[in-house]
Amino acid sequence: MPDALQGLLTALFWSVVTIGCYVVARMINARWQAWWSSPLLLAPISVGIIVVLMHTGYASYIRGTHWIALMMGPATVAFAIPLYEHRETIKRHWPILLAGVAIGSATAIGTAFALASWLDLPTALRTSLLPRSTSTPFAMAVSSDLGGMPELTAVFVIITGVTGAALGEFMLRFMPLRSSLARGAFLGMGAHGAGVAKARQIGAEEGSIAGLVMILAGCFNLMMAPLVALFMG
Amino acid sequence: MNRPQLRHLIMLRRTRFAQVVALAGVWFVSDTATRAAGLPVPGGVIGMLALLALFGTGLLKVHSVSGGARWLLAEMLLFFVPSVLAVLDHQEFMGAVGLKIAAVIVVGTVLVMGATAMTVDLCYRWQARHA
Repeated sequence: MPDALQGLLTALFWSVVTIGCYVVARMINARWQAWWSSPLLLAPISVGIIVVLMHTGYASYIRGTHWIALMMGPATVAFAIPLYEHRETIKRHWPILLAGVAIGSATAIGTAFALASWLDLPTALRTSLLPRSTSTPFAMAVSSDLGGMPELTAVFVIITGVTGAALGEFMLRFMPLRSSLARGAFLGMGAHGAGVAKARQIGAEEGSIAGLVMILAGCFNLMMAPLVALFMG
Repeated sequence: MNRPQLRHLIMLRRTRFAQVVALAGVWFVSDTATRAAGLPVPGGVIGMLALLALFGTGLLKVHSVSGGARWLLAEMLLFFVPSVLAVLDHQEFMGAVGLKIAAVIVVGTVLVMGATAMTVDLCYRWQARHA
């Protein structure tokens, strides 16, 4: 078989597996709405098991499914629609959201630095953990600015998102947050993209606020990176 | 389902697909431009700002892309799946270091979410009282 055809078939196979697992996971999530049934947890685990069982490496898996990850770009552009639709809420409350982003970012970097130092993790790992509360493209840029390892940061960002979205649902039961503003900011800051998806399940306004907070947090971290680097040096 | 209904559904799907393609086009142009200019911001964010500017000036109506946008946002979790599997390449995390990293992430995330929620909730209540 020619290489090009083989490559195309492999890409098609892994794309179908990924989308198939996601669709099934979403159906399970619709039936049992619990933290463990999040498609962000079930889909990667089931795809991961298939990848390992087929003795495929991540490199050949991602070669065929990179286009799915790239769709995150158009999805970011699509945020213009909910942001525009909720522009009145945002105009009225942007100082509050900015305060949440500033405190949230400081907590993210501070706790990562303190906990990693306390647990005696190597410096390179610690630096790569610092920007993990923002969405992947921002976090990778900040990580390389600080002298961390961007591809490791990308992995930590994803784990943070999955954890935050799962914890968020759990925490909302104990923290009766009165405003849609607090519920949106809480998920957008703590769990970026995955949190935004969770917030959209709670409500349209929560979803667009979470999206805005995620983007604000990314920009804020990017601007603060030189300051953090100075402080750590 | 009768025939006119079915035709309507097919039309709706087709428009939605065209809108997704249009949004992907906006992303591609802005991503290429951001890279060429060497800006440290993701291309998608620039594309989003461009789209907001088009809505603001009235050059583009929100409803002409909202169907595709809603679809992209609703299926966003799918786009994360391939990236999560990068963990497979890091066998060194299966052990003490992995547990420590998990502890940093879980404890850190709880604190980040708690601090953000409290800040926003307190500010909101303060604003409501002084408005």
